Amino acid sequence: MDGNEVGSSIRIQGLSKVFTDGGKSVTALQGFDLDVKDGEFICLLGPSGCGKTTVLRIVAGLESRSAGKVLVHGRKVDSAGSDRGMVFQEFGLFPWRTVRRNIEFGLEMGGVAPDQRHKTSSMLIDLVGLKSFEDAHPRQLSGGMKQRVGIARALANNPAVLLMDEPFGSLDAQTRNLMQRELLRIWEATRKTVLFVTHSVDEAVFLADRIVIMTARPGKVREIIEVDLPRPRERTSAEFISVRGRVLSELDEEFEKARAKEIARQ
Amino acid sequence: MSNWIRSLNNSVVKAVRQNGLYLILSVASFVVFITVWWLASAWLHGDWPFEGRSPVITAEYLPYPWVVVHAFFDSFTHPDPFSDLYMGDHVYSSMKRIASGFALAFVTAVPLGLLMGRSRKAEAVLNPEAELFRPIPPLAWVPIFTIAIGFVWGPIVIVFMGIFFPVLLSVRLGAKSVDPLLIDAARTLGANRLQIFTKVVLPYTTPYLMTGVKVGIGIGWMCIVAAEMLGAVGGGVGWYIWGTAQVARYDLMYAGMVTIGLLSILTTGVAGFLEQRLYKWMGTK
Repeated sequence: MDGNEVGSSIRIQGLSKVFTDGGKSVTALQGFDLDVKDGEFICLLGPSGCGKTTVLRIVAGLESRSAGKVLVHGRKVDSAGSDRGMVFQEFGLFPWRTVRRNIEFGLEMGGVAPDQRHKTSSMLIDLVGLKSFEDAHPRQLSGGMKQRVGIARALANNPAVLLMDEPFGSLDAQTRNLMQRELLRIWEATRKTVLFVTHSVDEAVFLADRIVIMTARPGKVREIIEVDLPRPRERTSAEFISVRGRVLSELDEEFEKARAKEIARQ
Repeated sequence: MSNWIRSLNNSVVKAVRQNGLYLILSVASFVVFITVWWLASAWLHGDWPFEGRSPVITAEYLPYPWVVVHAFFDSFTHPDPFSDLYMGDHVYSSMKRIASGFALAFVTAVPLGLLMGRSRKAEAVLNPEAELFRPIPPLAWVPIFTIAIGFVWGPIVIVFMGIFFPVLLSVRLGAKSVDPLLIDAARTLGANRLQIFTKVVLPYTTPYLMTGVKVGIGIGWMCIVAAEMLGAVGGGVGWYIWGTAQVARYDLMYAGMVTIGLLSILTTGVAGFLEQRLYKWMGTK
């Protein structure tokens, strides 16, 4: 339990990641630090290519780290595991499995008995609003419904943290707003720690307890903005717009820096 | 079983209803083919509409379509002119050979294809041999295999050589093209390496495997004439074609060729039907 404080869910210290591809190396992350409290909803926001998805993938154990420490509930992360659920932008559902069997995948891998699996998946199908679709296959579902399956599937293992990589990025604006409200409802019901990557300022302000704004590559934390607004948040309220403005101006500055670097490189 | 027959029947009825135009086109194409055959044969024979033209000596090389059809039915009721076997016996022997060759190819090519598709090391080890042997036509193996292994296993191994590579290549392609996102998803859901293999790679590869199987069966039939060229225990349709040609019974020879075509259509059709059932069961179609 080294370095674990009470109530700390994810602790990332001095995280660096260097990608090497055919002799060329790119530093994606350098000295990224973050402490996420138990049950907290964190949004990672930053200019594209800043390494926000890399942070998520390292916490998930899908990517190795070049330096630094990642602890989830005091346990060092070194491979993927069912204690961290992940939701992907492109869903990643198994096309040959029904909704129910997709949701039960993790339980099946963990050797949970069929009747227990069935009970858990029924509960989750209810929770994410997929009743009467349990026997459908992914190709029969809309994008929003697919991501409901993605969320339920990630929750099935009852993970401590939920890692979400632009989960609503491929949905249309209407569905996106609906899914944001749905996610908050599910989050309030399950109280998971959520690490949510997005490039939408609006989405971050609507969802997050704290918004982590990252610098341009190599990515580290530029600023953490606390969103102290009661939920459900009103996108048109003055407070919402003011937080949104603050986040935007921070982000714009990083974007300009990234662009200047790009120009300097040419 | 009756369920299967009913569903087969339903799918045929549905196909006719939905694809009426295409069905007409296919039938028309077949009619044109028979007409061209008939005209070519009539030309060789100097019959109507080429009357007056003296018959070509080699007219027997191309009998009329109905003569071949007659020979085809005859071959099942009369023993062939060089042994005491009926066409049914030859079909049975060839089918057994194709089935054995297919089974051998399946149990070897599927694991090897999966291995080569998922492990770069395995691919580096196995690829030189695969690339070396792949372009060698099964026909080239006929003399050595029939002499060295004999008339029971020789022909089977030749058929095996034909079916092995299409199955190997398509399974390897399938295993290679597994969506990495699905593997990531499985890993975050707690799947270990064996589970990723059995629960993700295997189902993902199945459609590729079925394509390989269908192509393989077709190639297997293409190999049967070569495989039975020097002889085969219990005869065979390929052997039948060689034998009837030797005694200049070209009508029977063509009947043998028609038989191979029909058998290939039948077996590939069964594989295609099983494939559809499989996809339906897996829910991907």
